[in-house]
Amino acid sequence: MGLLAWQFGAAISLRGTQTFMSNPEDGKVAKGRYVSDYFGLIYRLPQGWTVGEAGPGPSQSGYYVLSTLVPKSESNANILLAAQDMFFGPDTRDDMEDRARDFQQAVANISGMIIDRDLTELKVADHLLYRVAYSGVGLFRARLATEVRCHVVSVNVTTSDRDLLERLAGSRDSLSFAVIRDVKSSPPPCVKDYAVGDNVLHKVDPVAVGPKFVPIPVRIIVGADGSVKHVHVIRATDDQRRSIEDALYQWKLKPYEVDGRSSQVETGLVFKFTTGNEESR
Amino acid sequence: MPKHQFASSSKYLLASTALILSATMWSGYALAQAQTQAQSSQGQQGGDGGGGQQAGGGGTGDGGTGFGGDGGTGGGRTGGGGTRGGGQQATDPGVRGGPAGAGGPLPGLSAAELAFFQAAQVRFEDVDAVANGLGPGFNLNSCSGCHAQPMTGGSSPATNPEVAVATLNGATNVVPSFVTANGPIREARFVLNPNGTPDGGVHDLFTITGRSDAQGCSLAQPNFAAAIAANNIIFRIPTPTFGLGLVENVSDSGLQTAFQGTAQQKASLGISGNFNTSGNTGNITRFGWKAQNPSLLVFSGEAYDVEMGVTNDAFPEERNNPPPSCQLNPLPEDTTNFTDATNGQSPASGFSSDIVNFAAFMRMLAPPTPANGTSPVTASATTSSTTTSSTTASSTTAAPVEVASADPTSVLSAASGTSSTSAATTGSTTASLTRGQQVFANIGCQACHVISQTTGNSEIGAAATNVTFQPLSDFALHNMGTGLADRVAQGAGTGNQFRSAPLWGVGQRIFFLHDGRTTDLKVAIEQHSSSGSEANTVINNFNMLSVSDQQSLLNYLRSL
Repeated sequence: MGLLAWQFGAAISLRGTQTFMSNPEDGKVAKGRYVSDYFGLIYRLPQGWTVGEAGPGPSQSGYYVLSTLVPKSESNANILLAAQDMFFGPDTRDDMEDRARDFQQAVANISGMIIDRDLTELKVADHLLYRVAYSGVGLFRARLATEVRCHVVSVNVTTSDRDLLERLAGSRDSLSFAVIRDVKSSPPPCVKDYAVGDNVLHKVDPVAVGPKFVPIPVRIIVGADGSVKHVHVIRATDDQRRSIEDALYQWKLKPYEVDGRSSQVETGLVFKFTTGNEESR
Repeated sequence: MPKHQFASSSKYLLASTALILSATMWSGYALAQAQTQAQSSQGQQGGDGGGGQQAGGGGTGDGGTGFGGDGGTGGGRTGGGGTRGGGQQATDPGVRGGPAGAGGPLPGLSAAELAFFQAAQVRFEDVDAVANGLGPGFNLNSCSGCHAQPMTGGSSPATNPEVAVATLNGATNVVPSFVTANGPIREARFVLNPNGTPDGGVHDLFTITGRSDAQGCSLAQPNFAAAIAANNIIFRIPTPTFGLGLVENVSDSGLQTAFQGTAQQKASLGISGNFNTSGNTGNITRFGWKAQNPSLLVFSGEAYDVEMGVTNDAFPEERNNPPPSCQLNPLPEDTTNFTDATNGQSPASGFSSDIVNFAAFMRMLAPPTPANGTSPVTASATTSSTTTSSTTASSTTAAPVEVASADPTSVLSAASGTSSTSAATTGSTTASLTRGQQVFANIGCQACHVISQTTGNSEIGAAATNVTFQPLSDFALHNMGTGLADRVAQGAGTGNQFRSAPLWGVGQRIFFLHDGRTTDLKVAIEQHSSSGSEANTVINNFNMLSVSDQQSLLNYLRSL
């Protein structure tokens, strides 16, 4: 595992893990570090920082506020760790650079916002991070984004102190990532729309409960034998969650193959209960 | 039944009161802006059933839904994050004075439409008695009583009419502790039923018991004291209805496009959100504090039933099974009329039920005009920029129509009552408002309070077809955290979620947030932050601003 060292003590790393069955929202801050088993991510808090107000739960589009970090003694900066599920978000493109450029363009279009530094690409181990630096109304910001398990994972730094921004979202040298070489400990590949069509060998519809017409995003991990090993109902009522889990654990899918060998696979699908019938894609 | 022949004199009293209040508060507005100038020069651095929010509307009714990640209870933080610097603090300039800039019809209405609007406004302002359908339970006896500030169609006025109506005509009601003479108009909802299942519905404050026109009726008020003691009650205040016809006419795809337009900014701020939808059709619902109502007609019908107790074609049954002695009219009490109640002035209005008139009034009610007098409505790019023309019928709506501008630089010169402000101050104020608009965009307010929406083809015609307007809302639901949570789910809206409140006209609002808990706009901003709120990062940003920039933001908002 490679650890990166952000200047002034902040650190981020991605690590191989055998706990990939956890969920994105399960990450926690403890002992000065934010740790997400799902993303294999460690983010070491800057010295003198703590956890801010908790964010909302996962959204209907698979957006997560992973953590909000703030200085203990001043209100001059904050860091938002966030993730957007690429299966369910408004932007479904795979290309991270395109996404980063779109983000840069979007903030440039905001009245009074200035792009301080053109898009920067940071290659750390086998991960590419894209950094956008921008400012306006006395606030200086940087956004670092990379792709992990078909999620856009982002670190969003805002501060009223330009120098502090550089310290918090510092140089390339302050970053490093682990290279995951152990297949057994690495998460399964993520494949969009795998649980559809002929890939589904046996299907049980969930019982329609709760509010109708509300999209319910779901991630599943399918085992090498085609059975559903893990179900993560991202946002739903408790009744809907139980109904969907009960149904999906009965599904049987065609095993996913990598280099001719059966493999686990992670994919997503959306349920929407309508009047009497269930729909999914 | 037609009731529009008698106009409400109380309305005029309310309007006059509002104007006096506004004039008084304008001095505070000017003062705060002067403070901004001083702060800038020194370089200092320093932190709806209410009238329309009803239970179970149109298939988006209350239920016990709760989504993962939501939970918690309303707390009611009164403080916000700290501000930079020492003694200086930004302050809410207060309710903006000058012309109301609201209450008139959409520009460009046809003669028939304008006649309908005017006749419908009379209905909206009618004061109902029991013979007209009032009760058995009710919160007030007219639409315009709640929707009054700064003009008919608005929100809660400075003097709460609920206090007087409690004992009107001999009624024996006790005014609940959460209703005060100078507080906001409130409706009350109980969170849970006695058996612990979700309630969420409106429990009317008053009954008609004791009224001279309700002989024989004996019906007790709900036990609000017990509900308060059990922490089982939440409140909502009236939402303004200005410009809602335009909101109704934005297509679902139009709302979704505007929502996605700020997706990039939202993703960097911890904001997500989702639309509420009709459980019957799946369409986006958009009216009410939780966007629980799909249309102005449902909104009207439900409010008439829930807030005033008037059964109607949309909601024909009395609520809560009142005793026969309190059911004094045939049902429903408001229906289509078989004669023209306007004697030919507007047959469309005259034959229509009250709720159709209410909906029509709101549908043709113009958006608020900001202090700079620029038109709140402009032809969109799909039509000629000069197709609309000013045909305002109200003397209080003097906005030109053909030019829309997001530039707030003429605020001071357009706002009457500020003539004593010096040229130097005017220049500074202009700069402050421009800066405030930038702050609003930069720190992320506009991610949810989306500036512009565009209508599609409207039955109203040119007045509402393919026009762009500035409601400053995405009309989507957002998790607002435990501090604002009211624990009431409506449709897809959870107990922690609220619709992004449209900020147009906020300059003349007296009470803020869903329960009217504050009259201080800065407190309202700060209350956006609490555990679980999507706005936490934005409020962190607000707290990092200089006092000068915070003040500019407040000045800008009060110019709307």
